[in-house]
Amino acid sequence: MKRWLLVLSTTAILAAADPAALSDQAMGLAQQKKLAEAEALWKQALQADAAYFPALFNLGLMKVQQSKFSEGEAYLEKAAKAEPKDFNSRYLLGLARSKNGDHDGALRAWRAALTLQPNQLKLMQVMSVEYGAGRYYQEAAAIAERAIELKPADPALYFMAITAYRQAGELSKGREVARRAAERFPESARAQFEYGWHLLKDGEYDSALTRIKKAMELDPSYEEPFFYYGDWLVNQGRYAEAEPLLRRAIEILPGYIPARVRLGRALMGDGRLDDAIAELNRAIEQEPRHPQPHLLLSQIYFRQKDLKKAAAEKRESLRLRRENPQFLEAEQTRPFPE
Amino acid sequence: MVLAVLLAAWAAEPPCAPLRAQGQATQRASAVSSGKRSDKPFLAKFVDAAPAAGLDMRFVYGDAKSKQYIMEANGSGVAWVDYDGDGRLDAFLVNGSTFDAPDAKAVSRLFRNDGKGGFEDVTAAAGVGRSGWGTGVCAGDYDNDGSTDLYVAYWGANALYRNTGKGGFQEQAAQAGVAGGADEWTSGCAFVDFDRDGLLDLLTTQYQRFDPKTTPKAGATSTCQWKGMPVFCGPRGLPYGGATLYHNKGDGSFEDVSETSGIRSVRSYYAFTAAAADFTGDGWPDIYVACDSTPNLFFINNGDGTFTDFATETGLGFNEHGNEQGGMGLGIGDFDNDGQLDIIKTNFAGDYPNVYHNLGDGIFEDIVIRAGLGANPQYVGWGVQLIDLDNDGLQDVFQVNGHVYPELDAQKAIDEAFRQPGVVYRNLGGGRFEDVTDLAGPGLEQKRSSRGAAFGDFDNDGDIDVLVMNMNDQASLFRNDLDSSNHWLRVKLRGTTSNRDAVGSVIRVKAGGATQARAVLSQDSYISHSDLRAHFGLGAAQKVNAILVQWPSGRSESFPAAGVDRELLLVEGEGEALASP
Repeated sequence: MKRWLLVLSTTAILAAADPAALSDQAMGLAQQKKLAEAEALWKQALQADAAYFPALFNLGLMKVQQSKFSEGEAYLEKAAKAEPKDFNSRYLLGLARSKNGDHDGALRAWRAALTLQPNQLKLMQVMSVEYGAGRYYQEAAAIAERAIELKPADPALYFMAITAYRQAGELSKGREVARRAAERFPESARAQFEYGWHLLKDGEYDSALTRIKKAMELDPSYEEPFFYYGDWLVNQGRYAEAEPLLRRAIEILPGYIPARVRLGRALMGDGRLDDAIAELNRAIEQEPRHPQPHLLLSQIYFRQKDLKKAAAEKRESLRLRRENPQFLEAEQTRPFPE
Repeated sequence: MVLAVLLAAWAAEPPCAPLRAQGQATQRASAVSSGKRSDKPFLAKFVDAAPAAGLDMRFVYGDAKSKQYIMEANGSGVAWVDYDGDGRLDAFLVNGSTFDAPDAKAVSRLFRNDGKGGFEDVTAAAGVGRSGWGTGVCAGDYDNDGSTDLYVAYWGANALYRNTGKGGFQEQAAQAGVAGGADEWTSGCAFVDFDRDGLLDLLTTQYQRFDPKTTPKAGATSTCQWKGMPVFCGPRGLPYGGATLYHNKGDGSFEDVSETSGIRSVRSYYAFTAAAADFTGDGWPDIYVACDSTPNLFFINNGDGTFTDFATETGLGFNEHGNEQGGMGLGIGDFDNDGQLDIIKTNFAGDYPNVYHNLGDGIFEDIVIRAGLGANPQYVGWGVQLIDLDNDGLQDVFQVNGHVYPELDAQKAIDEAFRQPGVVYRNLGGGRFEDVTDLAGPGLEQKRSSRGAAFGDFDNDGDIDVLVMNMNDQASLFRNDLDSSNHWLRVKLRGTTSNRDAVGSVIRVKAGGATQARAVLSQDSYISHSDLRAHFGLGAAQKVNAILVQWPSGRSESFPAAGVDRELLLVEGEGEALASP
């Protein structure tokens, strides 16, 4: 009896001391969806070897899949240290950090992952979005440009770079990418529009409007060219001409608040104050938090010499502006903290 | 064994971007070209004549390399003022200070124009050499004794320099009741006869209440960064400023009427330059104030001693898209020669200036993009004016620039510089401008961090010169060496019923088929004071058909045809009376 017990306990000690065996056993359990048991075994494996990579990685992955990102991050950080050349742990670590709100940390993990797989296109796309979200627009543009080099036939990558350059204020670089996109994808409404938009900014109005009109023809269901053409006409004081374009943008995308507000502005400029009021009230119905329709209504009522209504709309606009600065504030680009 | 990881096209969710994450209202505006440039030559050429003219003023304004407080960043104004009545513009330059070891020798200085292109430092003799954190300056003959007085704003007590008429000034702020609070940071000021009693009243604007002991240091909070770089805090997050209106009692003293006049009915703003003029055309002076990172103020004069702020309703509160802006300086003029006073306002970097076109009835429209002034959003704009630089009969734009963060020079990640060149836009007519900076002479190649600018013809040669304050640097005197056959007229007004300097008048000149309007202002540009004489470029017109003056008293008069290329003195009551507005 004593001998039998000794054998059993020796086997248990041996198993406990073999993290690979424990981890394999855990993997089997995980595949059978017995996650709690699998977790216990991986933890046992770590008791035997605190730096045992498969246990660290799989625990991290499991926690990320369970949306337990903080726990996942802790395991994945150790996994990344245990296997410095492992791509997946660094990728997942970035994901966990991002979900935990540590966006700079996420990007650091992904930057490390990208050094391991420099041609990982999808990671580049993820990083470009994350850089942009963090206002690291220069970095977002740079990585999108790298992605274009890898897959020049994908128009989405060009648009990603153009957006990043626009946000970074690097319009000359954005224009060059847009030009390449317009040449490479002549049937892409977005490509034609993006190039047209840059030409518009550079004061090359004839060429710009030609491109933007072409975008409208290529895809009449694409709202942006209609909006920006209309917006340009409003900026030029050509209010009556702007109206049908802005209406078309709204027809395509009824919830397009900037287009509806701009339409209200165009109608106001054209002296059609009652029509403008109606349009701005529709904008308010659709987005009650937006201060700009109220601001324009204040101006219209002032023009109609209804100072009481003008004051009320002003107060509402100022209140909404305080409460919802996101509608009118612009976040500035910043360099990634190396 | 490792579970396979699929790289799904997972889009990272955007982080919760901190709202109002910077202390400064700005946009992400990109340059908008005004289109193909005309091939016309631009004949105004600006040369920095300050060193040769003996205008050896080096401004002190906080630490030159790193600024801990916003107090060190905003700089000061300058003034063209004929203090000795000799018909020549003298230069008054407001100086600042430092927090570490303030230099008592760093004082504001007055330079007398010797009439030969040079200047002589008369600060001590004139009694205006005060040290401290000076900010804005405005001028006007508040006691109607025939000599133009000065008001200088400070962080702390302000100064009212009464001109004795004998080459000197007496500081009278405390006795007159216009010194302001000890903790107030006054920025702008403007003499304005708001009740039309013939006496200049005084408006002051406060940027904020500032106390270095309670102001967080650079980089301390989310409102203390610029594009990720730690910088001084504010203005957002710091205590708001305000405005004060003083009524001139006529005995050398003033009374604070801010509450009863309605000026204090608006709160929560950071105020800079104030310009008082009749923007609505009803004969009463209104007040427009450029505000930083908060809505601007437009006090319409109700004609009964009170004002109502209608900035939002009239289109002057925000830009075309309803954004708050980092407003700094104001230029007042009539760029489309329709006889109405238009406004140009400079703003922070990453944003366009505003070109507020006056549509009449107190309604304005920001036409900056259409006008072609969206070409240089990379600059932080300060002093500015709508003014005819080449005497072609159309008011151009001269704007000085400079960033607020000298720390930019020590890093490479942000493509911006502390020192920035000025810009000049030529008025093409039809409400459109083009950038002609590269044609405007070597002075415009100068890169400095400029703030105040005053406009006037210091050498009386018939063109507009520009005096500029530069942060921790020498003053610039951009002498205009215009080589043109275009004609001009300079009009000096003398009020009799109105205040003697006729501040608040609007002059309309009919010549060459156009009617041009100019306002006589106590402050404009960036917290600065320009020539009280109105300058009109006339192009090829050989004569002026008529001059209409709307005096601040409410009286309107017509003066007969006049020759060109000369200065006229028009005295209230000597013209032909017209129906008042």
